[in-house]
Amino acid sequence: MMNERGIGIVELLVGTLLALLVLGALTAAVAVGARLVVAGGARGEAEDTAQLAVEAFTFDGRRAGYDPSAAGIEAIVQARPDGVTFGADLDGDGVVDATSEEQTAYACSAANQRLSRIIGRQSLPLADGVTACALRFFDTTGTAMAVPAAGLGTADRARIRAVALDLTLVPTALHGATARTVLVALRSGG
Amino acid sequence: MRRHRRSQHGGTALPAALVALVVAASFAAALADLARTEVILARYRQVAAAALAAADACLAAVVAAMPPGWDFDPLLAGPDGVTGTGDDGMLGAPAGCTATARRPPGAATPARVAVTVDANAAGGRRRLDAIIGRTRPPGVPAIVWLGGSPTAGAVRGTLDVDGSDAADPSAAPSAMVAAPSDPLTLDAWLAGEGAHVTTHSTSPPLTAPSPPFSGLLARLTAAGEVTTLPPAGTLPGGLARAHGDLVVDTPLSGAGLLFVDGVLDIRSSFDFTGVVVAVGGVRVQAGGSLTVAGAVWAGTGALTIDGVAWLRASRTAVEGVDGLLPLPRRPVLLGVKDLA
Repeated sequence: MMNERGIGIVELLVGTLLALLVLGALTAAVAVGARLVVAGGARGEAEDTAQLAVEAFTFDGRRAGYDPSAAGIEAIVQARPDGVTFGADLDGDGVVDATSEEQTAYACSAANQRLSRIIGRQSLPLADGVTACALRFFDTTGTAMAVPAAGLGTADRARIRAVALDLTLVPTALHGATARTVLVALRSGG
Repeated sequence: MRRHRRSQHGGTALPAALVALVVAASFAAALADLARTEVILARYRQVAAAALAAADACLAAVVAAMPPGWDFDPLLAGPDGVTGTGDDGMLGAPAGCTATARRPPGAATPARVAVTVDANAAGGRRRLDAIIGRTRPPGVPAIVWLGGSPTAGAVRGTLDVDGSDAADPSAAPSAMVAAPSDPLTLDAWLAGEGAHVTTHSTSPPLTAPSPPFSGLLARLTAAGEVTTLPPAGTLPGGLARAHGDLVVDTPLSGAGLLFVDGVLDIRSSFDFTGVVVAVGGVRVQAGGSLTVAGAVWAGTGALTIDGVAWLRASRTAVEGVDGLLPLPRRPVLLGVKDLA
């Protein structure tokens, strides 16, 4: 004789409850894993962004003052706590073309939380989510120079031998900050 | 009759566990890929940094090997010294890098040369252009500039050296000696002379190529020589040359540039303001005294002091001589442009 007993309501409820528990556990696991991957990706991107920003700054800082024709160009055209402008005669024509890469500027914007590289009228954002960005200038003895908000004058700019960029950024979806500091010695001046 | 109990098979535990395993594995793979990418990027950055450091080191070595002088024409002529041959512009460079020189754009003065450096290191490669010129101050920042390594026991008398410039106390102090020897050798020599050598406000000894005596003599000859120099302390003084050895056996005083083809042999008192050049070396005999405000450039045979020597820095005196006859200058890096 076959047992044709069916599924009762109690069994149904217990089964449903167990299924929900299992699905809930699975969903939680998936959510944690997904957050981990997203956070890992965001952290990697933040580190890469910061590193690229300092590499670009180093590249421009190293060639500041490049003057093959001895025309007497200024290595640092502008020096402020939140910005610096480098000049270099890259084509050797004795003139710094302010609309080309011969004059590159770095600007920290606290309002936009951004570090930008400016060439002529083109502004390229190097890093967003910037919570701290500042520039420091050093003379021949390695002493930090006091920089007024309006920037250093011509005579003081001629004394600059190194420039430091302090950059901190906190990307969205992350709590920890990514910080970089780079000190670039000017190779010009003799 | 047997009763067959049919046991029930099936359930959802195993499929659920498998699904969870697959999900976890996919997340782990994604994280692993992320980490691997970051490691690869870090390695590339390390290689690029190593190559850049190698290029900078190569450039520094090339500049350090350039002899002091007035222009860069000999350099542009290449190792064979002849312009228009295949080795024009070729420069000696350390292993792992190459360096070539060419004329930069613009006017011929101030003297400068453009150098391209190619360096390979740690699997990476960097290339840069550099502009090299001459320092503004003439000579080297040292009171005594030797053409060879100093000899142990060369100072049996007294040598007193003051590296500070009385006329410009804010100026950086001069080194006691510059010579084509490594710094440790020069430090050891100085320490070995013990109490015979007294230094005041001098910076550490410098490594520098030998003074360009032949080039200086050629320019002195072209400028014309005088045999009588004004007394010491009279700036800028004059230009004088002694053919062969010069023996000072009576008190002598002068100012300007004194070029001695041979040995400057001091047996009496010799007071000079400016630059004393002795290709055969300087010898202060017992009982003799040498007083110089400016610089002493001594060639092979260098410096031997059995008497007394007082040497002090004087930028005014050296620059005064430079105004009469351009003195050689060291090469200096004026600018760099990274190419790749």
